[in-house]
Amino acid sequence: MSTVVARTAGRARAGETPGAAHTTARAAQERRQRRAAFWFLLPDSLGLFVFVAVPMVLAVVLGFFRMDGFGSFQFIGLGNYVRMAGDPQFWSSVRITLLYLVGVVPAIFVVGLGLALLVQQRIPFVGAIRSALFVPYVVSLVVVAMVWEFMLSERTGVVSRLLSAFGIDDVAFLGEPSLALGTVVVITVWFQMGYYMVIFLAGLQDIPGEYYEAARIDGAGAWQRFRAITLPLLRPTSFFVVVTATVGVITGGLDLVFVLTGGGPAGSTTLLIFYVYEQAFLFGELGYAAAIGSVLVLVMLAWSALMFAVTRGGRFDND
Amino acid sequence: MDGRHLSRAGSRRRELSRRDVLRLGAAGAGTLAAAWATAGCTPTGAGRPGPLQFWQQYAPAPQQDPNLVAQSDWFLDATRRWAAAGERPVDMVYIPAYTDPTNTRLTTAFASGDGPDIFLISPGDFLRYYNGGVLTDLTPYLTQEAIDDFYPDALATRTVDGKIYGLPMEQEPLAIFYDVPAFEEAGLAEGDLPTTWEEMLELGRRLTGGQRTGLVLDTTPSYYQNFTFYPWVWQGGGDVVDPRTQRPTFDSDAGVQALTLFGEAVATGAAARTLPAGGDLVGAFTNGYAAMWQTGVWQVEAMRQNAPDHPYGIFRLPAPAGGESITALGGWAWVVNSRGRDPESAARFAVEVMGSMSRESVDAAVRWNGVAKGNVPARRSVTEAIGNSGAFENPVLQQFRDEILPTGRGEPRYPPVIYKAVSNAIQNAMLGGADPRVQAQTAQAAIESYLETYEGGTLV
Repeated sequence: MSTVVARTAGRARAGETPGAAHTTARAAQERRQRRAAFWFLLPDSLGLFVFVAVPMVLAVVLGFFRMDGFGSFQFIGLGNYVRMAGDPQFWSSVRITLLYLVGVVPAIFVVGLGLALLVQQRIPFVGAIRSALFVPYVVSLVVVAMVWEFMLSERTGVVSRLLSAFGIDDVAFLGEPSLALGTVVVITVWFQMGYYMVIFLAGLQDIPGEYYEAARIDGAGAWQRFRAITLPLLRPTSFFVVVTATVGVITGGLDLVFVLTGGGPAGSTTLLIFYVYEQAFLFGELGYAAAIGSVLVLVMLAWSALMFAVTRGGRFDND
Repeated sequence: MDGRHLSRAGSRRRELSRRDVLRLGAAGAGTLAAAWATAGCTPTGAGRPGPLQFWQQYAPAPQQDPNLVAQSDWFLDATRRWAAAGERPVDMVYIPAYTDPTNTRLTTAFASGDGPDIFLISPGDFLRYYNGGVLTDLTPYLTQEAIDDFYPDALATRTVDGKIYGLPMEQEPLAIFYDVPAFEEAGLAEGDLPTTWEEMLELGRRLTGGQRTGLVLDTTPSYYQNFTFYPWVWQGGGDVVDPRTQRPTFDSDAGVQALTLFGEAVATGAAARTLPAGGDLVGAFTNGYAAMWQTGVWQVEAMRQNAPDHPYGIFRLPAPAGGESITALGGWAWVVNSRGRDPESAARFAVEVMGSMSRESVDAAVRWNGVAKGNVPARRSVTEAIGNSGAFENPVLQQFRDEILPTGRGEPRYPPVIYKAVSNAIQNAMLGGADPRVQAQTAQAAIESYLETYEGGTLV
């Protein structure tokens, strides 16, 4: 550092004090850094602007129009939002999405953490086990849905055959309204558990081993160590998992529902995102779909902001 | 200047001035306006150079199956002949999963003002495109003789106010396919085929067992499920919307009766809640997963390709007590985009191939319906020519043509809101265990409310 300062001072203009030359050099360096940062960030920012920000703003604007999908626009102000308020199918899909959310997020949290705790242990073939648990996440969701559809097939699927061995016959997991959403929840958790396992594993490996050692010396049992050390120190990771899983659940699930149930039976798996898809691409109601999408984004922003506020950006009280 | 001052000066430099904010705002607004204008304008393809584009699910064939290659060649031959005559060339564009009603390719292309010049369309989608103003009136290009040559039911759902907007290339009636080995195992013969709803449900229950589903009625909410449902309403003398008065009649006894049939089929175990073999009839029959399946003439070709030796048969849709057997006729039609590159050329091409009385046009249709595709023609002259040539050797196809087709009525062209109202009723009554009458009334109210402000093509 001193060499740099000396060189910079050597290039200072005549008459400047060494201190002034030093600050000028720092300012020049800062400028260079800012310029470099600008050029590094430019491609990403442009991409985000063109492919995320602009479509997002356009979608919000489209929400104030009635469109027929063939280029015809008619400004209707809050018409789509008024329609939404009185649309029983919209509210039904909101209710189903909330049920899906309540089913998936806690389950993902518990299963992901449980698996992370399991594969953190020194057990034989732990690498292979971790990979096996992560594999579902790298498979296309459409393929996942098709495989499960065949496995759960009424009468002929492998699950049905297993159940029939226990005297349980004719269970239509995807054809019974009371079972279909729960089945989609289970498949979603199965698909995503590997990803969240890895996230939790990274969090667990950040916790210093000395804490556990000290707790053991003090006579703390496994449950006490988990409650007093693991859970509190995993708060930032938990925050990340809850926020990303919530956003993922609200905006995802389309491919799964699309292939598995088509929103049925009797509308029991028509998630909000599926309803948006249906309105936009099957019915050509692009304006209405955009309005629902805008509300969805607003809800997620509010949820994320609330989570950030309550947890102080995921740092809780550990800063 | 000490370090603290420098830091403040640096932070001042990093802050955006009002001018910067205005500049950035103007740039952003400009970009948005440009994007908006690009997305919002409704460009027509008129004047765009290059060959016309024909979007469909046949050509160029992505597989080497001889039958699919034959279908692909049929389309490619038509375009070759057209280009050889010195006309504007037509490019065949194969769209994967084109027949899947949830495929978004066509929808998004039209939404961005870049729809194809010619495309295939099913009756369920017709009104959305007609009401969107993108279909070309083909009547001026057709002779009266050619118009009269089409079966009225095939043309009716493509006609608005006497103007023809689509040329059907086939008629696809629904029937019930049955698996002969399943019937034989149960000690049943042809004489036991059901002719009434009660008999059908009874047989469905009897044939259900082990891995086999007795009766398959479509279960996935979709335009297709509605298509398979309509004939059961018609059989009782009812309708979703009366074509004469244009008023909804779905809450009639006939509508309730049809919903009850679907509900009872599932509730009593005659029909499954989900489709066996992932919806694949061939797989279901050959593996013993289904005994009877309500589906269409296109399965004849599927069976021929994939299980040519597997014995199966068909029978017409059973009728309710006091009703008559009626089936629905699907099928694809050629339509021309009025905002395409050259609608006039495209219309002439469509009419020359599908709607001309020239020897070439009739022969081409004979090759399509009688050989390449193997389904029921939409034109009398083609039926006659096939009849004379003996191309319909398959007895199942003959049964479709001679016995099932005369009981057919064209698939209705209902806009999405009506489709959805009926679909909800079917799903709730069939799989949700809901009261059919209440469901019919709910759908009726939704359709009534929609039709109060509906402006568009007539509902038939």
